[in-house]
Amino acid sequence: MIIEVNNLVKRYGDLTAVDHLSLAVNDGEVFGLLGPNGSGKTTTINCILSLLEYDQGEIEIFGQPMTPESYNIKRDIGIVMQNVAVYNELTVYENIDYFCGLYIPNNKLRKKLVLEAIDFVGLDEYSKFYPKKLSGGLLRRLNIACGIAHKPKLIILDEPTVAVDPQSRNKILEGILELNRQGATIIYTSHYMEEVEHICSRIMILDKGKAIATGTNGELKAMINMGEKITVQSNYMSAEQLAKISQLPNIVSAEHNSPLLVIKSSRGTNNLETVLDFIKKERIQHSKIYSELPTLNDVFLELTGKELRD
Amino acid sequence: MQVFRLCLKILKKQIPSMLIYIIIFLAIALIMSSATANEQQQDNSFTRAKSNMALISEENTPLIDGFKQELGKVANFVELPDDHEALQDALYFRSVSYILRVPEGFTESFMQGENVQLEKTIVPNSISNTYIDLCIDQYFNTARLYVQQMENISQESLVQYLKSDLAVGASVELKTVSDQSVNHNYANYYFNYLSYSLLSVLILGMAALMLVFYDSELKRRNACSPLSSKSVNLQFILAILVFTVLSCLIMVTFCILFNFKNSLNLNTVYFIINSFVFAVCGAGISFLIGNLVKSHNAIPAISNVVTLGLCFISGVFVPLELLGNTAIKIASFTPTYWFVKANNQIAELTQFGFADVEPIFSSMLIQIGFALAFFAAALVVNKKRRFD
Repeated sequence: MIIEVNNLVKRYGDLTAVDHLSLAVNDGEVFGLLGPNGSGKTTTINCILSLLEYDQGEIEIFGQPMTPESYNIKRDIGIVMQNVAVYNELTVYENIDYFCGLYIPNNKLRKKLVLEAIDFVGLDEYSKFYPKKLSGGLLRRLNIACGIAHKPKLIILDEPTVAVDPQSRNKILEGILELNRQGATIIYTSHYMEEVEHICSRIMILDKGKAIATGTNGELKAMINMGEKITVQSNYMSAEQLAKISQLPNIVSAEHNSPLLVIKSSRGTNNLETVLDFIKKERIQHSKIYSELPTLNDVFLELTGKELRD
Repeated sequence: MQVFRLCLKILKKQIPSMLIYIIIFLAIALIMSSATANEQQQDNSFTRAKSNMALISEENTPLIDGFKQELGKVANFVELPDDHEALQDALYFRSVSYILRVPEGFTESFMQGENVQLEKTIVPNSISNTYIDLCIDQYFNTARLYVQQMENISQESLVQYLKSDLAVGASVELKTVSDQSVNHNYANYYFNYLSYSLLSVLILGMAALMLVFYDSELKRRNACSPLSSKSVNLQFILAILVFTVLSCLIMVTFCILFNFKNSLNLNTVYFIINSFVFAVCGAGISFLIGNLVKSHNAIPAISNVVTLGLCFISGVFVPLELLGNTAIKIASFTPTYWFVKANNQIAELTQFGFADVEPIFSSMLIQIGFALAFFAAALVVNKKRRFD
């Protein structure tokens, strides 16, 4: 076990930011903390890192209690903060060298690691640039390089892709998977469900400081009753036809907002086939038909009654 | 020593703005250097000064001619028309400071031993007029002695006697208690002015450093590293110390370079000690400002307001003697006042016994007191900021 958190409580006055949260992160996994803004993801991370004092609970990292003075534990942790934390007075190279130097005193080894980190995040051309000259995406990559250059066993990334262009986002996500392949255990927080679905081997969904579900992507989706969502592009449909669709087996709801007919089904088999048969039988004119499996947003919606993006 | 190196790199980035203050300071110091060199030459020599006067004689006798020659040694004669308005104008516009009229029949009455008077019109409170008065009194008092003692003496003989008597003068040798081969005027001015530049440089550097160092995101990021907060703070303090000492050392070195011949004495040692004490105090002020300032753009403005305010009121730009009592009372609540006061005392030092240097050490101790107060205030502000 890399991280074990038991019954963690953190309050800000009357507000309970983290509410009796327990989690366990295993060696070698990419553990995702998913939740909307204000759900307690960053507060949990700050408590784990001993940056915040908490009201209740125990935190262990690498089998030892984590305190602000646990310098031996901190030596093996890499942290990528939500807000970019780099020195504007230092170049890209100097920034990575500074943060790497906090962990690696040996000059020769540090130089090698810094160059590897620059190469890893693709900032070779920008090593002499000052942070103010970098775009948002490049700045995020620099932030990551500063956090991972010393090759830590555990890497904590707190929303590293906020306000990042798609190209940089893909580069960052691929990089995280590569770090995991190289042996690092990763904790990844985000409110972007697609990212979490894409890279995390196990996910904890947070809402209002509470863990509402934990499991793999498949396990989480299996927790809900919702099945596939079928969308039909059709300009005209009578009210009678719409009522009939709603009464088909496993169909939960059908809504027609021209030109889209959206049909939600519960879990079951052959739902798409049933709908297609009905459209053919009723001779409903249509163009495209497509089917989507439930997403983590649907999981969140069913568990909390609200959208993840709210 | 990552944090120490980081601090030096951040300070290095501030060099261009700090350099402006250092260059202006050194330029003024160089100008002062040449100005005080001339001043020193003047102090060691004596030249008789002559003032402008008008002599209007209503008679032309050998006695008056002799008098005119004698008066010529202390005055420059200016030709003026014998017109009341013209003479008044000449006095008003200071083309002359003394107008002497010899009335008709003066010589005859004087030779008969009668009590006669010359008419003078002068610019009030003019010191140079006293010199002319002395010369007139000396000439006619000596002449009266000859007239009283030698009956029927001719005017020509009298003038001859007077000429030989008044030619005898006392030799004047200029002696002072202090060694005039060493002039502390330049060092005094340089070290007083140093307070402005040193304070500006310290505030610019340290406020910028602290703004970066106490950035909450970077502080949190550093707190995640295996470096203990004790080690981080020690390295930060060491960087501040090195910066303060280096800044002071550079400025002091230039003083010794510009004024080398006057620098090899105990006064310079005291000047340097006083400067380092002030630098510690300046570090305290900068540390406090660094804790209060919230934006890079505000630093130069705050630096100018603080340094100019402190220096104007404390006798750095205007000598303390010219400041009013109220201003001096207010100034005594600033460290720059005690720095300048100690510098002025050091410049006057010729003996180095305990009694002589005691007031200087008192001024230095007060500066250290100020430094402690500033550091304490800064720590309180820092704690409040962290709590917020």
